[in-house]
Amino acid sequence: MSDLLFNTSLFDEFDRIQRQMSSLFSGLPSSIRASRLSTFSQINLGSTDDSVEIVAFAPGIDPAKLELTVDKGLLTISGERERVQPESEGRSYAQERFVGAFRRAIELPRDADPDNVKARYANGCLTISIGKRETSRPRTITIQ
Amino acid sequence: MNTQTQLAERNTGTVARKGDTQVQKGPAIVPAVDIYEDVHGITLWADLPGVSRDRLSVHVQDGNLLIEGEALIDTPEGLRLHHAEIREPCFARAFSLSADFDIAKIDANLSDGVLKLSIPRREEARPRRIEVSVG
Repeated sequence: MSDLLFNTSLFDEFDRIQRQMSSLFSGLPSSIRASRLSTFSQINLGSTDDSVEIVAFAPGIDPAKLELTVDKGLLTISGERERVQPESEGRSYAQERFVGAFRRAIELPRDADPDNVKARYANGCLTISIGKRETSRPRTITIQ
Repeated sequence: MNTQTQLAERNTGTVARKGDTQVQKGPAIVPAVDIYEDVHGITLWADLPGVSRDRLSVHVQDGNLLIEGEALIDTPEGLRLHHAEIREPCFARAFSLSADFDIAKIDANLSDGVLKLSIPRREEARPRRIEVSVG
């Protein structure tokens, strides 16, 4: 998969490595008053014989603020996450959670059908299923 | 480094033996958190996308707060994964809690993949103003 498709810059790559490094030490408790970092809306992509499946990990977002568009074979997921507002004055010890606007673009395979897209937001994950065109499905050809 | 990892694994083992539904396999993702403290105590928000209530466990053991969750996403049969930014569907993070928190009154709420934990301070540990009498 090319970097162009997934919008991964060199810095995102560093971030990913850092996350993997920190996950190696995940079992150890760190003080609740001192902690670490992350990047936003991670995506997993897969396919079956009849569809292309995409999962965007976007917890804590109002589904009304999520926008999904398909334009010329490019699927764009965009939205905004607001900062959680504590009820009273105090001190902040960690702000690792993503805040602000985000956008991810995914180039769809040529056989994806933009008129047959289903999206669902549950448990903080946006699951998108895009049907494949009938003609591109695998078939067995009988030999006469 | 090696001994530390083992220590951590032993810890999760004891949690699992306590009749938990989830079993830890391999490394887990460290969820991003926001932590805020006010006069009442600490509020912690953790991103746990794809984790449902029954697959989340919040434990306090030996003064350590353990948050563990497993993401479960409905996928159609015969799915072939092409690109994955989240490989391990398990989340785990631990914090040490000092004695001034009232662990019996921790309140947990999970909504849209975000866990909100309210850890109140003990009544006697709350900051108070002492009146100075003139006499």
